Amino acid sequence: MPVRKILKDTCILAALMILAVFACSIIWSGLTAEITLVLCLFGLALIISAVNYLFDEFFSMSIVVSYVVKYFVFSAIVMLFGFIAGWFFPSNFWMAFIYVGIVLALAFAVDAFQVQRDIGYINEHIKKEDKTS
Amino acid sequence: MQIITRQVKDKPLTVTIEYPELTESVKGLVKRIESLDISFSAYSEDRQMRIALSDVYYLENVDRKVFLYTEKDVYRLDASLQEIGKIAEDSDLVRISRTCIMNTSHLTGIRQLKNSHLEASLDNGEKLIVSRKYLRDIKRRF
Repeated sequence: MPVRKILKDTCILAALMILAVFACSIIWSGLTAEITLVLCLFGLALIISAVNYLFDEFFSMSIVVSYVVKYFVFSAIVMLFGFIAGWFFPSNFWMAFIYVGIVLALAFAVDAFQVQRDIGYINEHIKKEDKTS
Repeated sequence: MQIITRQVKDKPLTVTIEYPELTESVKGLVKRIESLDISFSAYSEDRQMRIALSDVYYLENVDRKVFLYTEKDVYRLDASLQEIGKIAEDSDLVRISRTCIMNTSHLTGIRQLKNSHLEASLDNGEKLIVSRKYLRDIKRRF
């Protein structure tokens, strides 16, 4: 789908632009607070993506259970990372649950929709092949 | 596309592909035809035999041993699922979970169960659990 490809390419290009601009800024003005925050977000995204990959590779759970487990695992990672990076204080660490919840709710909706669409596509093609053979 | 078939006695099965340009779809067609010649050396009670790819329903890794399932029989293989995946690249074999490779030519449908697990049905009545992670790979085969 072209819209999806354009959105995906936009995200990748934006990430590359941020990294390129910040790389130049680091050379000129060193590590500022904004640059540190963005680099930390990239680091957090890398950790979450790696955990997500390993989770999907080694555990075969239903879509609902896997998202519930991921919610708690990712919230714990964000909280731990937030404490280390100095984002959270003991009074507001619960906000990690909200941030992760919003992202995972969106991911769940997209995932559930894609699974249904892929199943429909596969079954439709099997029917077509059965008719032609 | 034109399909011409003719009987030529006393000669092995020969497929000739004529194309105006060697495109990706032509290359894909050649690979798919080549995959029809793939067979696996499998064991059944210490007897070694060759199993053609078209007879394979699925392959499963159980306790670090790989088993090959045909319509009614089970055989043991001396290869890992990774090795099989490489041998049968561009064939109808596709990984459906970390421990299972399925032959999509025997697939009759996929459905989502009430517990939202995915189940693949094969034409011999067998049901296999599909990991959502590999659903895209199955889709690419069609």
